[in-house]
This record gives sequence, C-alpha cells and structure tokens, in this order.
Amino acid sequence: MSSPKTQTSKSATARPALKKPAAAKSARKAEAAVEPTRAEKAAFLKAMVQGIKPGSKAAEKSAARKGPEAAKSAKAAKAPKAETPAAAPKVEVLRRISGAASIPVTPESERALALAKELEATLADGKLDALQPHAMQALMAALCKIYSAQDEADMRYPVLSGRGAVTGTDVMIVCGALLRAVDLQVFELGMWQSWSGR
Amino acid sequence: MAEQFVAKASEFQNGDRQIIRVGEDEIGIFKHEGKYYAYSNFCLHQGGPACEGLTIAGVKEKLRDDKTSVGLYFDENSMHFVCPWHGYEYDMFSGEQVADRRLKLKKYNVVQKGDEVYVVA
Ligand code: FES
Repeated sequence: MSSPKTQTSKSATARPALKKPAAAKSARKAEAAVEPTRAEKAAFLKAMVQGIKPGSKAAEKSAARKGPEAAKSAKAAKAPKAETPAAAPKVEVLRRISGAASIPVTPESERALALAKELEATLADGKLDALQPHAMQALMAALCKIYSAQDEADMRYPVLSGRGAVTGTDVMIVCGALLRAVDLQVFELGMWQSWSGR
Repeated sequence: MAEQFVAKASEFQNGDRQIIRVGEDEIGIFKHEGKYYAYSNFCLHQGGPACEGLTIAGVKEKLRDDKTSVGLYFDENSMHFVCPWHGYEYDMFSGEQVADRRLKLKKYNVVQKGDEVYVVA
C-alpha cells in the first residue's frame, strides 16, 4: 500500500505534463518540513552529545517550543550584556620597604670617594706606579689615624663596606705591612685584642 | 587596565619599595635613581615574594687584556633584586632573571602625575 502523499509525489514526477506544479511544490515542501536536512540531523546529534549551548539558536528554538516565557529568557541570554563599567579593583598596600638611610654628604667624603674611584681605575688599568710610595704612605697614615680616632670616639663601623671586593690576601698583606711599620708582632696584636676586647 | 594610585612621589624616596595588592595581583614598585619600576611580586621559581628581598648591584669581574683577574666588583650601573625564598635574582630594569634571561617577571607601567605615582594594572 502506498500513502496518498507518495501517490501525489509519484504522479508529479511521472507525469509532468499534467502541469500541477503548485500541488507538487506544496507536497515537496510538506515532505521537507517532516524530514530534517543532513545538517539539521548533524546539529541534533551534536546537541545530544554536547548539550544545548545557552544563547544559541538551538536554545532559542527549544525555548520557543516550551512557551513565550522561556523564549523571552532565552533571548535575554543571547543579547550581549550591556557594558557595565568594571568596578575599579581595590588597591591595598601590603608593605612599605624603605631604602638605606640617607647618609649626610660632606665635601671631604665626596673627594675621598672620587679619589678611591680614580685609584681603582688606575689599578684596573695596571698602572701600579700611579700612586707613588710617599703618596701611599701619607694616605695610609691619614686613614689609620682617622679610623682609629673615630673608633675611640665610638663611631664604630666595618672598615670595609664589602662592596670593594677586597680579598683576604689583600687584607693580610696590608695588615702585615702595617704591623711591621710600627714594629709590632702578631702575638702583641692578639694580646691587645684579648685585653681590650676589640 | 586602570591607573591605580600607589603613593605620593614626594614620599617615595630613592631605594624605597612598596608592595601593593590590586585585585588578585601583588605588585612591587621600586624607585631607583629617580625612576619607577613595577613587577609582579610572584617569583617565577615557586611564587615567593620576588620584590621583597635584597636589592644589590650586579657583581662583575674585571679582567686585564691577558685575562688575569683584577677582582670582582659591584657594577653600579646595574641593580638587581633577589627573591628572599631561594635567591632568584632579577634585573631591576627589565624584570629578567639574571641567570636565565628568558624568564621574565610581569612588568607594569608606572606613571607619575604631578606628585602622584600610579601603576597601570
Ligand atoms: S620562590 Fe623565589 S627563588 Fe624560589
């Protein structure tokens, strides 16, 4: 048995001479409305697997089937959200870390720093005779006297800043030379240190 | 990205730092020789407080022409800050980790408007 629909369609294709194009067209339309296209089938399968994405056409269609209220809310989901100005993030101060305390600058310190820089540069250039012995002796004597005077006056601080990269060997050479210059033995230095607690 | 107020420039001295929280980010702002630098405070190693450790000039070695060493010295043209957790050392001017310059802390722009300092975050 064949359905009247099939018959109509058959007659439309077998006998085009009958010239009932309007009827044939409406029949094809009706068929198409019943049978989903390949793309629709694929989309249906996809939706089955992934679920319907809110705001998509599929969501709108399914909401339309559920009623006008659901359709309204689906449309609202699709509509781009009005740009609300983002609330400015709150700034919270976690920590304030101060730099090194500023050191008062004296003209003598400025000149001493400049001289130290200059001497370091001559050393780096290998000009060992740039500082002649009499100049070295005067400088060393002044440094010894002023450092010990400050120490006696309780202005105590490490004699080297740790920034000049003076090696242990450098220190032993200079200390040995200083002790010899004032005719002191290491033993005497040790005794004085233990007595004075320095 | 918006400008976030950090401090008054007149109260932010050279060598000073400020650690702020903006939303979910922590940012360290440094002032060094009159310029401002700002980086993420999350260390690239294990998330330690990268901007809260020691600041120190880079250490270099001076060599003579025959490659004998004149000794190590602090290069005052550079400045590093060191993560206090395990010592990752970062270049203050670029935020690069000095041992592997491919690693870089997130950098933020700092703008000064009159006496006010802002970070763009
Ligand atoms: S977390 Fe910063 S060095 Fe390890």
